[in-house]
Amino acid sequence: MSITIENLEWKYEHTTEFALRGINLEIPENSFLGVVGPNEQGKTTLVSAISGLIPHSFNGIYRGSVKVFGEEVKDAEAVHLASQVGLVFSDPESQFTAMTVEEELVFGMENLGYDYAKIKERLEWAADITMISSLLDKSPYDISGGQKQRVAIACVLAMNPRIIILDEPTSMIDPLGKQFIFDILRNLKEAGRHTLIVVEHNIEQLAPLADQLLLMHEGEIAKLAPPDEFFEDTDFLLERGLYVPEVTVFGHWLRKTGKLPPAQKLPRSLDDAVSLTRTALQAKGGTA
Amino acid sequence: MTTTTTTAEMTGAPARRQKTLLGYVPNVSPFYNFHPVTRLILFLTLGVVPLFIYIPEVNMFLIILNLILLKWGRVDLSRLRIYLPVIVTVAIFMGTVVVLAPGEDPSFTPIDLGWVTIYYQPVFFTFAAYWRLIAMLFGTILYFSINRERDILVGLRSLRLPFIASYVIGLSIRAAGMFMEDFRIIREAELARGLDTSAMKFRDQVKLYMMYLIPLFSISLRRADEISNALFARGYNISGKVAGGGERLDYIRSLYPMTRTDWIAIILLVTIFVIIGIAQMGFGVFAITNSPLEQFMRQWLNIPPA
Repeated sequence: MSITIENLEWKYEHTTEFALRGINLEIPENSFLGVVGPNEQGKTTLVSAISGLIPHSFNGIYRGSVKVFGEEVKDAEAVHLASQVGLVFSDPESQFTAMTVEEELVFGMENLGYDYAKIKERLEWAADITMISSLLDKSPYDISGGQKQRVAIACVLAMNPRIIILDEPTSMIDPLGKQFIFDILRNLKEAGRHTLIVVEHNIEQLAPLADQLLLMHEGEIAKLAPPDEFFEDTDFLLERGLYVPEVTVFGHWLRKTGKLPPAQKLPRSLDDAVSLTRTALQAKGGTA
Repeated sequence: MTTTTTTAEMTGAPARRQKTLLGYVPNVSPFYNFHPVTRLILFLTLGVVPLFIYIPEVNMFLIILNLILLKWGRVDLSRLRIYLPVIVTVAIFMGTVVVLAPGEDPSFTPIDLGWVTIYYQPVFFTFAAYWRLIAMLFGTILYFSINRERDILVGLRSLRLPFIASYVIGLSIRAAGMFMEDFRIIREAELARGLDTSAMKFRDQVKLYMMYLIPLFSISLRRADEISNALFARGYNISGKVAGGGERLDYIRSLYPMTRTDWIAIILLVTIFVIIGIAQMGFGVFAITNSPLEQFMRQWLNIPPA
């Protein structure tokens, strides 16, 4: 297991409620976990606990255990954690600390003690895979939102952590920029060298990539299942404020009203939905 | 990384510019053939040397030298207009102070202008001090017009400034830019909601500016928190310790090689700096009394030499 969480509870200083309650979770190495749920339900807090920001950079009450490759996160040093877990923040600008994109990328590698040759090699690789090679000389504040997010991802990739966490990586960018980010995630998943944890509202694009989807609700894990199973009980998800793809809701309605057999898999894409509707119409004796 | 400038590019016309947090720098400039530390030493020379020089003519010459270097560096001189208010304001402020509060000394020579009496010695001294300030200002303008932020930091780190110190300077430069950006956003949000500052009394405008401090302060605190988290996430340690306990390498600095031209330029600049320093501190070569203008004025006004 790359990450093992046991009975984790966390309450931020000056708050009355625990932000995380009774979290138990095991994430296999090189798997892709999608974390979903409405705002203020504990998604960012969960990934902060995995990356070590909690409890190292926040004050509060911490109970339980988070282990990354068998090592307790709360006892690990920042530099060691950074070599294992890379975190991309939802606001890319908030993680920029340097004057040019190139400096931004090498900063983390310098902290990890890489030599010049390795820094150069990984810099070029990370810039290439995120398509930011032409931006290296620019200020990270003078590029578009999508480019900023790609720079933020490149910074983490350059450090080559075994676990990469992306906290709402597409929340501040346009549709084309979102597609770029999901393309990068797809490439990373296909490469199979990293454990990926992605907090995301865009479930339509996240679900096809994820090995498991995790729903956070009021600081607890409300559901953890592979995508096919995850959407089975659509009412359960809707009651917990999750935005379920409309095609899935439609498929669920068809099934609930008896227009589709109960064992029918619910659609997650438009193509699936079209095919399913044809099946339903044919079952009614009509033409599709 | 240094940028090679071809002869064809050296037309003398202002080059295309690149925005920095502190202003604009040309995309192409012969200055980029020099290492950032050489440019930093040029700045220290041109920016600090006026402190040794009391003769206004020499400081005026330094200003002209700075202008020539700006032109040679393909900096758009028309942008210097933005400094005009500073230059004029400083002149008005210093002039007003020396007229209204010249100090008391029986050796001062009064000059009656009809509507006001001024005193020659403090006026000329202020005149000389003004040109020292402006010469230093132009040295600074030159430096920030030919150096991007990273050049500044590389220059400082090349002088063995600790990484943490250069990093704090970098973050401060960034913070200044972001502070102005946040200020602009707050102002625009108010304008969008119909606030018309031109219709407000001066007192109310001052109050309004005070009120801006509250959101700006809270935004700054939040940003500081975010940067702290970002540094943690990238494995930065305030002690500068890197994984494995080795010494931190400076990749960006390694991209800027020192050439023989740099060494020659540095030796030349340091020599000039030392000679001027010794000439003034040891022999008073640049004392105000050696100013031809000062001597002419005394002759013209029949004031005996100091």
